[in-house]
Amino acid sequence: MRRPGAGREALVGYAFVLLPMAVFVLFFIYPMVYAIYISRYNWGILGPLERVGWKNYTSLWHDTLFRRAIKNTLEYTVWVVPAQMALGLLMAVVVNQRIRFRTFFRGAFYFPSLASSAAITAIAIYLLNINGLVNKIFGLHIAWFYDSRTALPAITGLNAWTTAGTMMLFYLAALQAIPTDVYEAAAIDGAGPWRTFRKITFPLLKPGHFFVAVVSIIGAMKVFDQNYIVSHGSGGPDYATYSIVLDIYNTAIKDAQLGLAAAMGVVLFVVIFVLTILQWAFFGRQEAA
Amino acid sequence: MTAGPEPSSAPAPPLAAFDELVHGEPAAGASLTAAGIPGRGRVERIQKIVAYTALILISLLFFVPFLWSLSTSFKPLPETAHFNLLPHDWTLEGYRQALTQYNFARYMANSAIVAGSITLTSVFLAALGGYAFARLRFPGRNILFFLVLGTLMIPDQLRLVPIYRMLTIFPVTHWNLVDTYQGYWAIRMVSATALFLMRQYFLTIPRDLEEAAKLDGAGYFKTFWRVMLPLAGPALAAVAILEFQGTWNDFFWANLLLQSPDHWTVQVGVAQFSFTYGTLWNSLMAASMIALAPVVIVYLFFQRYFVAGVASAGVKG
Repeated sequence: MRRPGAGREALVGYAFVLLPMAVFVLFFIYPMVYAIYISRYNWGILGPLERVGWKNYTSLWHDTLFRRAIKNTLEYTVWVVPAQMALGLLMAVVVNQRIRFRTFFRGAFYFPSLASSAAITAIAIYLLNINGLVNKIFGLHIAWFYDSRTALPAITGLNAWTTAGTMMLFYLAALQAIPTDVYEAAAIDGAGPWRTFRKITFPLLKPGHFFVAVVSIIGAMKVFDQNYIVSHGSGGPDYATYSIVLDIYNTAIKDAQLGLAAAMGVVLFVVIFVLTILQWAFFGRQEAA
Repeated sequence: MTAGPEPSSAPAPPLAAFDELVHGEPAAGASLTAAGIPGRGRVERIQKIVAYTALILISLLFFVPFLWSLSTSFKPLPETAHFNLLPHDWTLEGYRQALTQYNFARYMANSAIVAGSITLTSVFLAALGGYAFARLRFPGRNILFFLVLGTLMIPDQLRLVPIYRMLTIFPVTHWNLVDTYQGYWAIRMVSATALFLMRQYFLTIPRDLEEAAKLDGAGYFKTFWRVMLPLAGPALAAVAILEFQGTWNDFFWANLLLQSPDHWTVQVGVAQFSFTYGTLWNSLMAASMIALAPVVIVYLFFQRYFVAGVASAGVKG
């Protein structure tokens, strides 16, 4: 049975969503399809030169620069994810205590997560320059961003520091989901704080760990701004900070090889997509349990 | 993530979800008081000491970089070679040079233009679409909403090449929109996160008010504009703040698309300044402080709305 006015309501509904949908289709969904299309061409500044099928993808295998970018990105990920998680968890546990000015500290620790990456990177460049504060404090003499051995670790430290606040918020939510009576039981059993944390809090945070890990990994795969800014876009010194996204950017903009760059984008997308699906699958199960 | 939404279900406003995190209370777990259990007092004290020690160390890690940079921004250039905590000669020279000689007044204006226009359109379009998806019934609604949420899965890094190509030669019209505000604005005009937040909020508003407006003979748009929008204040504020912060801070797209110095946003300006005048530390730090300031100010006053963004980021994964 049709409600009176249903036709008019539907028309109004379409009118309301028309503009937002146009944006989503034109600038999100179409580009995704278009990226795959471009990736199957040898595509220069002026447009498609020849159709090459999957050759852009297979050539990525032998692309030494892309392999270097993958190696750097993975190396970065392997270090930054545990660092972010550990720092985030530590901060969450601390600001979950009954301490003074708790709200203030939560807000302050979260702030770097929402500050601009360019300004934060400029601050890092300043603090880590050879005559900078960090070297002064630790009695070192390292040009952090200009030495191929320390450039990537410096970015790792920087981003662990910046993003730990986000992880802190996720961990806080997970901490507060742990039922209080578990702790009461532990207290009655005479368990100390460290034992309580190790035996109860940490294991019960398992869904939290998984969620935070995936968010952190996906973020790490996309690392770009800091690498671009500390190396003037080159990924240097000596390709030490050359990340996957930096390779996509340079291949597309500097080398004008849009087909190859699009193929890299598709590969990165597939990796991120699989991670996201894993996360959803896992959390679907958690909620059902 | 629940991609297939139940229109009838009315979840708590997304803002409430993480509200507690900001305002504290109730804290679970380790902060439990051990009243009544003998011998717990000492353990409690140790725990307090450990907690405060950790808090101080973390605070140093988080405050020192900002305070040091802030201090440097007020130093004359020669003083930046020394390690005095506060400037001997307080000066605004770094700021003056950054704003005039190095053009940051212009970059700030550019950032204000793009962030302002994108925030406006995003709030309006997200509210319009969010209202329709929450309240109006039309065939294909769920499929369309699923598409909207699906765009959250498409990373900017995949969009880089096709968007760059599209803006170089826009489909059909053949406009060149690279290095124009219009092109930058177009690709960020509305976001799925914003639309999702608005829809979730509209779902929580009771229907009676709309029904009353309808009985009074108000049309759909008038009901939306006069009745629903005023009721959605908190969600509008959250979306406005998130979009403003996201656009103000954006480096990825601004650096790609706004290429000529006249069009640089303040973030691109900071990066370029560090490329060219890397060791003018007082000006570089002044520029960084200028680039941070608007978000700091908004954050100080509207902290809780930022957390709504994290809550939705949790939704989008």
